Amino acid sequence: MSDKKLCAAFAIAGAFAAACSLAETAKAAKAEQEKCFGVSLKGKNDCAAGPGTSCAGSSKMDYQGSAWKYVPKGTCTSIVTPKGKGSLEPIAN
Amino acid sequence: MTMSADFDQGAFVRALLDPELPAPNGIDARHGFPPERRFAVYRNNVCVGLVDALAERFPICRQLVGDEFFRAMARCYVREFLPRTPMLFEYGDGFATFVSKFEPARELPYLADVAWLEYAVGQAYHAEDAAPLPMDAIRALPPDRLADATAVLHPSAHVITSKYPIVSIWRRHMSDEDLSPLELDHGEEALVVRPQLAVNVAALPIGGSAFVRALEDGRTFGTAMDAATRLVAEFDLTGCLQALLVAKVFLSISVTPERQNASRRGPLDHSGA
Amino acid sequence: METRSAPEPNRARVASSLPARAGLGFKSAHFSDIEASAPGIGFFEIHAENYMGAGGPPHAQLTRLRRDFPLSIHGVGLSIGGAGRLDRDHLRRVKSVVERYEPAAFSEHLAWSTQGARFLNDLLPLPYNAATLAHVAAHVDEIQAALGRPILLENPAAYLRFRSSDYSEIEFLREIVRRAGCRLLLDVTNAYVSATNLGFSAEDYIDAFPMLYVEEIHLAGYAEDSDEIGDPLLIDAHCAPIQKEVWRLYDRALARRGPVATLIEWDNEIPPWPLLSAQAARAERFLKKRPLASEDRAESEALHDDVG
Repeated sequence: MSDKKLCAAFAIAGAFAAACSLAETAKAAKAEQEKCFGVSLKGKNDCAAGPGTSCAGSSKMDYQGSAWKYVPKGTCTSIVTPKGKGSLEPIAN
Repeated sequence: MTMSADFDQGAFVRALLDPELPAPNGIDARHGFPPERRFAVYRNNVCVGLVDALAERFPICRQLVGDEFFRAMARCYVREFLPRTPMLFEYGDGFATFVSKFEPARELPYLADVAWLEYAVGQAYHAEDAAPLPMDAIRALPPDRLADATAVLHPSAHVITSKYPIVSIWRRHMSDEDLSPLELDHGEEALVVRPQLAVNVAALPIGGSAFVRALEDGRTFGTAMDAATRLVAEFDLTGCLQALLVAKVFLSISVTPERQNASRRGPLDHSGA
Repeated sequence: METRSAPEPNRARVASSLPARAGLGFKSAHFSDIEASAPGIGFFEIHAENYMGAGGPPHAQLTRLRRDFPLSIHGVGLSIGGAGRLDRDHLRRVKSVVERYEPAAFSEHLAWSTQGARFLNDLLPLPYNAATLAHVAAHVDEIQAALGRPILLENPAAYLRFRSSDYSEIEFLREIVRRAGCRLLLDVTNAYVSATNLGFSAEDYIDAFPMLYVEEIHLAGYAEDSDEIGDPLLIDAHCAPIQKEVWRLYDRALARRGPVATLIEWDNEIPPWPLLSAQAARAERFLKKRPLASEDRAESEALHDDVG
């Protein structure tokens, strides 16, 4: 066995042992999250609405796809990019 | 009998998807006036329903850019990519790629990676169920043979590498933490897995996604460590394994069969190099 | 409410063994409420397409729900009114959901929703004529053969009509039932929405509907809009409490049909559980007013015996 392989084997055995004991302590906290059939996850992922039933009405505006005129106005303002906070300037098409 | 009347659904669909076109021929409102607004109900149902589906699927992207921007962006996606099956939980597989090329979002370079993460969360939510390997079984593995061991990962497991702190972004939105400024000065590698019913999103040490991908490809832990170390010299193996164990990503770990003449030797001593 | 036509005799139900009670569309947001309060809900209905993933919370929740309540599965993607042939892959998926959960009823829509490989996520209208009749009847046949059971076909909400229609909707539905041997799901809200939008009498529609074949009723809240000349345009929005006009029509339908499984649909802007279950309780009160037809009474008693 090469030195390199031997080192790897030691490293992995040691890391497994350490990781096992560290994982134990984290386990108790995780257990709580498994309850409630996974309902707690934000963003439901299960597409509640059926087709053909939106509350959108008949206005043509809801379907328009013309010139872009929107500016991000969400939580991106709390994320600092190298150019400063999240873009608040309208972006030309 | 009028057999000629099987109508042209293709023309109906073209008008449905292009609001610049008039309503299709052959339809009426009850009063003889143009049926445009009535037809617009169908147009809206198609478009708004799909935008809603994306908004449910990518809630953090939506929070990041705000409802108006998100819906307008999703509308562009819907017009370009319709679902290919009636299973809406599969819809949005191309959304992250679309966002990465979406010009108005170019000032938010992390947005596409957050979309990847959210897509992986959705996939994990619906993935096949499988019981993860219990900790006892992991602890019982012979330490001397772990370097040559291979692993089967949970079918819901997925890793995402990003130049941006996507796990931190994800977490602060999930936990409603105060949104104090977050610096985009480092990348993060995300592990998504659903060992039981709740989806876990964890940050792996840098190099961890290469480690997981190597294991996914059937490589040994030793080879996977090499792959990660090649990318990041100071790869944190213990931290990575810990994250994988806490997230319960392993379904099974197979140690190699003992080699002849090796069984009586001490640990780590079976030769072959 | 007085009705102009006499009750029709009930014939043996063939497509549904749902109890003649009020049910609700299941939303995972309500799962813990349902678990906690064991409410007096007669059954739950789900959309088949939301349970076609491999695993995860949807199946875990539905398995639990199925243990405690009768289940109705409602398809929204088979595109029965589509001009092309049925999507066999999708039919296989529907079949596997139906086989897995063995629901008391499976229903789909008189509408289309796919074109080629594109799913349009809407229930789109079709003209009612000989050509579409042959098409729809063949599709219903194929679905029933695949599932090994008769299905319920639902009347759609209409916003406009086709000049190429030769049949009324009711004639069309009657003919489908005759040819394919399916049964009907009467959506009372759709009837009211279509009647208002197309300018016919909702009461006449209910009075003429082939109640003999109705094995489930849907009720939902509609949204009000108007068209370019200011005429009312009602939308089947599923995002509001059921309006009084719809309750009135429902009562009229029950007078002819006798009590039958009745679903409250609320799919958008989903309300908190108490508001939703109050809608079901209200439907229960309408159901209790009506004498049971003998065949339904026997089933209902058997159900109560099961419950203990």
